Amino acid sequence: MEQVKNYAMALDYQNCINCKACEVACKEENGVQLGADKQRIWVGMVEGSIFGKPFVNLYPSQCNHCLNAPCVSVCPTNASHVVDGGIVKVDSDKCILCKGCMEACPYDARFIDDITVAVDKCTFCDHRIDDYGTTACQATCPTKVRMFGDLNDAEGDLVKLLKTKKFFFQKEKEGTLPKLFYILPDNENYARQSVSTDTLIHTWDEIAPLYGIINEKRG
Amino acid sequence: MQKTTILGLEFNELSIKPFLFDKVILFAYALILLAFYGIYEIINVRYFSGAVNAHMLALEPTNEVFKESLRTAVFGTVGEVHREIPWTLFIANYMYMIYTGSGIIFLVALAELFGIHLVAKTAASFMVAGIAMVFAGLFTIATDLNLLNMIWMFLDPNYNTGMWLMLPLYSIYIPFVLFEIYLILTNKREWAKKLALPILLLSIGVDLIEYYIQAKLFSMNTARHLWTEFPALMLYFIISAFVSSLGVMGILTFLVHRTKKEYEKLMGLIKVSMLLFISLLGTYEIFAYLVVDKNAAFIILFGPFKAAYFIGYIFLSLTVPFLLIVKTTKPIYTLFASISVVIGGYVGRYLFVYGGNANPLSNRFGIGFEQYDIYEVVKTYNYVAPHLGEIFIVVGSLGVAILIYKVFDILFSINELREH
Repeated sequence: MEQVKNYAMALDYQNCINCKACEVACKEENGVQLGADKQRIWVGMVEGSIFGKPFVNLYPSQCNHCLNAPCVSVCPTNASHVVDGGIVKVDSDKCILCKGCMEACPYDARFIDDITVAVDKCTFCDHRIDDYGTTACQATCPTKVRMFGDLNDAEGDLVKLLKTKKFFFQKEKEGTLPKLFYILPDNENYARQSVSTDTLIHTWDEIAPLYGIINEKRG
Repeated sequence: MQKTTILGLEFNELSIKPFLFDKVILFAYALILLAFYGIYEIINVRYFSGAVNAHMLALEPTNEVFKESLRTAVFGTVGEVHREIPWTLFIANYMYMIYTGSGIIFLVALAELFGIHLVAKTAASFMVAGIAMVFAGLFTIATDLNLLNMIWMFLDPNYNTGMWLMLPLYSIYIPFVLFEIYLILTNKREWAKKLALPILLLSIGVDLIEYYIQAKLFSMNTARHLWTEFPALMLYFIISAFVSSLGVMGILTFLVHRTKKEYEKLMGLIKVSMLLFISLLGTYEIFAYLVVDKNAAFIILFGPFKAAYFIGYIFLSLTVPFLLIVKTTKPIYTLFASISVVIGGYVGRYLFVYGGNANPLSNRFGIGFEQYDIYEVVKTYNYVAPHLGEIFIVVGSLGVAILIYKVFDILFSINELREH
């Protein structure tokens, strides 16, 4: 029997150079409406300074495809739903535009596509996984920020990477069990300025049982 | 006036004239006309916005409409809904109209349960005002939703969501309230008397369920901490609704009952109830903001919403009415207090919806708000002013409420006091 897949993504964000190739590739690949805030993926920027020395943090972002997705729980018509691989998707034909999912998502990952007149979001390029094995954003990234893969594949590149690195999640306290794994930067200074002191840092051995258990329940 | 009786209901025999030329009806039509313009604008923006994707541009690179759409998308704002503020004035108005309307119906049921005969005599006008406001709220939300896909509410329901539960709720609630109004208006008194207590208890039960579902609608939104952490949201909705409901009842009493001998007593009753619920609401506001998420609370209490909160909400819905009615017994002061709480209550709903979205979710890594776009400055709070179409629909919803009330009055003379 084929093992249930649980797709996720690791982001080595210290490598991001804000070229926005991922945003362009996503819009091209998925036919996303063009517009400043009409994005399935984006590079978030935070400016700051330490003792007068300015810095910019770049956080490539997209939908977290949470295991405990609040957007799915609030959707009255099941337009927001989970498909194989634990990917959260929106069926635009069923969306009544109540915008409840946009209110429920802690990551601002959803927007209204004015062509389909429905909520839209990242799909982890699920239509191309079988053919190409990865997403358009990963495929196009010149600095290899993204690593797409299956959390249930112990021999896969994603799990191999996560086993060697420390990582953290966005807004972990929301209890959504997000699946974007942000790799803690190797550079200590960069790590200090780009990660909050409240953020919990994890290792694969510690987090794997939790994500495995939840996945079994869903499967 | 000639009357016709159908199923125990006495209809006034009238020509079409009062439905067309009555002053109040004409006023309602004018407001509804504004709503139609608003709906036209919404439909235009929602379904006919110039929106393009890369594929469309590649196929027709010289298409002028596409070029203009791209320009708008890059340098302006595109589409009807802003990503950072999904729920706007539509939801604030929906909340206000539905909660206040249901509050009136709830208060009448409670008054009848406690045997307050005076309210029973005016129940017809109050109940119709309540259901008219519920319809006004539903009118607002219907324009906000994409009705073309509503069939999926039946075909693939997600039973546990606040949004879906509103479908069965109002499918039961509205006929139920209309049945209650029927019992009040009908001549079948013996039959109605037998049913009075069970209907009354059911009515209170349905009202409680309604507020429970409304609270669920907001508290399921994990990301918005003002809504998820507001203590006992259902109770807050009920108390705040009662304050606004009493305001509407005060204004309605002045408008339709001021020439009757029961007027002063009725205003006195409204005054006492208003004092009680204003005090409860004031206490609630103090304690709620002590426990709610500090980022959300600070934006409202000390941030850009502070003027709206303290002047628009606290001053108008709590301070002014309290000072106006705490010592005086003259009905005119109760009227002024009523007007004040009606306005203040609206500001309260506005703040609840906009305040819930005000704290940007972009501080995703705990070290500061993100810049989403290279051309934009970093936002430390979210606010998008409602557009004209939205405002017109909200104004039009008031017209819907007035129209329904007046039609009931023309047909059934609900403004008359009646025993039941």
